[in-house]
Amino acid sequence: MARIDKWLIVDLVKTKVVVYVITLALPKGRMGKEALQLLERAGLPVEGVETEARQLSFSFPEEGVRYLICRPTDVPTYAEYGAADLGIVGKDTLVEAETDVFELVDLGFGYCRFVVAAPRQRWEEVNQSLETLMANSYRVATKFPRVATAFFREKGVSIEVVKLHGNIELAPQVGLADLIVDIVSTGRTLKENDLVEVASIFSSTARLIANRVSFRFNYQRLLPVVEAIKQAVGQWGENDVTNS
Amino acid sequence: MNKNINLQVPVGVRDVLPMETTAIRQLEQKLTDFFYSWGYQELMTPTFEFAETFKAGSPAGSDDVLFKFIDRQGRVLALRPEMTAPIARLVVTSLRREPLPLRLCYRANVFRYEEPHAGRQREFHQAGVELIGADGVAADVEIIALAVETLIKVGLKDFRLGLGQVAVTKGVLNDLELTPEDLAKIKEALAKKDLVLLERLSEEYKLTGIRRKQLELLSRLHGGAEALREAQECFSGTGAAKPLADLEQVWQALVAYGLEQWLFIDLGILRDFDYYTGVVFEGYVSGLGAPVCGGGRYNDLLAQFGYPCPATGFAVGLERLLLALKGSLSKKQDKGYLVAGSDVAAVLKKAQEIRQSESVVVFDNQSKTREEAAGQAEKRGLNLIWLE
Repeated sequence: MARIDKWLIVDLVKTKVVVYVITLALPKGRMGKEALQLLERAGLPVEGVETEARQLSFSFPEEGVRYLICRPTDVPTYAEYGAADLGIVGKDTLVEAETDVFELVDLGFGYCRFVVAAPRQRWEEVNQSLETLMANSYRVATKFPRVATAFFREKGVSIEVVKLHGNIELAPQVGLADLIVDIVSTGRTLKENDLVEVASIFSSTARLIANRVSFRFNYQRLLPVVEAIKQAVGQWGENDVTNS
Repeated sequence: MNKNINLQVPVGVRDVLPMETTAIRQLEQKLTDFFYSWGYQELMTPTFEFAETFKAGSPAGSDDVLFKFIDRQGRVLALRPEMTAPIARLVVTSLRREPLPLRLCYRANVFRYEEPHAGRQREFHQAGVELIGADGVAADVEIIALAVETLIKVGLKDFRLGLGQVAVTKGVLNDLELTPEDLAKIKEALAKKDLVLLERLSEEYKLTGIRRKQLELLSRLHGGAEALREAQECFSGTGAAKPLADLEQVWQALVAYGLEQWLFIDLGILRDFDYYTGVVFEGYVSGLGAPVCGGGRYNDLLAQFGYPCPATGFAVGLERLLLALKGSLSKKQDKGYLVAGSDVAAVLKKAQEIRQSESVVVFDNQSKTREEAAGQAEKRGLNLIWLE
């Protein structure tokens, strides 16, 4: 697909027609690296693109593609405002950001789960009863206040949500919070801090998102890219690890 | 105690400086004049009303979006979040004896208690039209043609109007035979275009074969006549066939009229799904992250005020339109004059004289000398007229 586009674009450049350049927002870090591997499989140009370098944008004028390297939490914002047409971001970040974007494809990678965790000792004190535990908890520390608030509200538990920006595991150890809501992939960090998972909220993988105007306005241009990415992920549902 | 007054304004509202105010007012005037030329008459409704009036309308009037307050009799009032519900109320109370259809238009500031995002504050400006008492294809065509020509008229070059038909979606959903709770989830996934969730729900509710295909088509169908044909094949014999045929007639009339280059079909455009009943549309501008205008058919609203009556309309967001027009509007106005001199009465008289020719004439009430006045004129970009 990218190859066909390339010829089309070269042709258009000759005739001085301005070609629409697709802007794709990528997250820094590990998810960005996996995203790049996926994009390569989808036939998009990725040569020299680094998600950990100082350079923050990479252009491929011939192919009509540009990448922005963003903080993961900023990817939905770039897409919502139309600064990027497409973005790749974890569902966890997307839910917390509460932005108005289209969610097009489950990309399968970047699996993690939102969980409620408590200190092991407290969990044993309440005989592993979630109700008792929640009823006797006053504060929950998290990087994801929206997810945490929604979860406890649904359970009918009123609890104070304390927003932290990292090392959430520390909070119960020093009495800042009784519980934490955090994302886990292997559960090792919890274990190392003597915390146990007491409830699972939902699981998350990376998603392909689109600006809602751009996806409609530039549909003919974006569709082949979205389709190619979808193909690279595999049939719909196959990578559906989040159903568990 | 000399305590300083708070100089800030609340989140979501802002001051508008002279240049932008001029731009907004000129744009409003242009829009209203154009609506008027199509036979739409302007009206005004109160800035605040009983909160329940708005709750009958679109989700913009739901409790968590309204700016509410209580009057001294304890009644709940709210700032208007949009103009359609107040106009419906006005039509039912004051224009009920007027011959239908009614063509009405407005320009107004509206208020929504939302997180400010994507070019929208908590107070913003809208201009729009309502065509009340007219059902059918021709009325839909009128409103969409008016919307396209409005955007052309104000000078937008690179825009498209996407047409959808919520009755198609409603028909498909009705045929699914799911519980209301499950349907609500599917509706939400469709409305937010969360294709991942839609796929998952299809699996969960064991939707297979043609039903799965129809649902998938709803979320994906985009294009022109060929997209409509594809939809017709897929939806023939279902509850979605009739509304789809209506949409095709609307499309054909608009194409025959010569507007095809501005239009596309996208069945994924649902807007406020439960509020609209037929053909809906949104206007998109390249590079602007949110729609610049939107509207559609809302045949159930007036019945809620006790006057069953079909209606359609649309609203343009002025701040967004201004963003889209950025640059093309900043025409510098003609240079005006600064009239100064020592004899106040003579200066005023001279200024009045020049003003006859529609020029901007500023009366200089400060300068004592010609040099001072020249400096003032220079600073303001005005031509100096000095009376000795």
